[in-house]
Amino acid sequence: MDKNTWNILLVDDEVDFIVTLAERLELRGVNPRVVHDGESALKAVADNVPQVIVLDVMMPGMKGIEVLQKVKSEHPDVQVILLTGQGKTRDGIEGMRHGAFAYLTKPLDLEELIRTINEAINPPEGIPHV
Amino acid sequence: MSEIPKEARFMGAVTAQNMHEMQNILAIIRESAGLMGDILKVNSRVDFKHKPNMERTLENITFQVDRGKGLLDATSRLAHTPDADLLESCDLTAYSKTLAQLADRYVRLKGAALTLTAPPNALPVSMGALQVLMSGYRALQWAVGTGTKEGVLRVDLAGGTDFHVLTICPPDGVSPDPDGVTALGAMLAPGRVEWDGSRLRLFFPVQS
Repeated sequence: MDKNTWNILLVDDEVDFIVTLAERLELRGVNPRVVHDGESALKAVADNVPQVIVLDVMMPGMKGIEVLQKVKSEHPDVQVILLTGQGKTRDGIEGMRHGAFAYLTKPLDLEELIRTINEAINPPEGIPHV
Repeated sequence: MSEIPKEARFMGAVTAQNMHEMQNILAIIRESAGLMGDILKVNSRVDFKHKPNMERTLENITFQVDRGKGLLDATSRLAHTPDADLLESCDLTAYSKTLAQLADRYVRLKGAALTLTAPPNALPVSMGALQVLMSGYRALQWAVGTGTKEGVLRVDLAGGTDFHVLTICPPDGVSPDPDGVTALGAMLAPGRVEWDGSRLRLFFPVQS
């Protein structure tokens, strides 16, 4: 599947970070949607179910793990990549227990993010979606 | 060591919160520098007078962000050591790497360079992360000595049956005060310390 057909939702309250990340993805042929809080993320999912959500764990209001749980309960096929803090790997591990596809730490390695999104959308043979 | 003073818990909690903010700041700097680099690449045929300076500056920014990321990771881990799930046990492999990052500047100021070799697998110990870092940091300070001495402070981690062992070899020519070993041993209990005149071995009890 070409990157320009990927349906990606980026969720982070750090506007400068997530908007710049979206611009960098656009330069690589990916056209993500961007929202800045958990409630908006759930609304965006209801409007148009994405293939992958890139979701910050630590946001004001609804936390990333709660968003993850709500999304997975209604749309188990949606793959969620969590963004966690340094030294907070247990957030990532907790997220994996709740069905996250992977977790990455900030600052991000963009190529690693794209590779992880690609694996979430096109899992290697023999590795089914969780 | 399972009883962490409330002052330490306060400092840890506040530091951890602010490290999270620092991580966001670094992430924004990296993505902004990355976007500028992307734009330069997209317009690679366009030449302008200071283009090489700009490319070099972007490389510097990325390098410094990576450097900051390492420090941030170690400081954040330190700040989280009073957390409940790290009071009684931790992964010695992960915290040895954290220890090396936290002590790197101190060792460099003493004129030495710190190297760490560690196995790829986790080595769980029945000792809290704060105690591991405190005793390990103090041992590195002791091993590098009081004066400035160029050389390599070598640290090797190895797994064992009853104890995982961190071996610290002081730089050539540095002779740490043998009397300091007793104090290190007290910090490491229920682990123990051995000093044979050329290398210090810290024994951390394996988590059963």
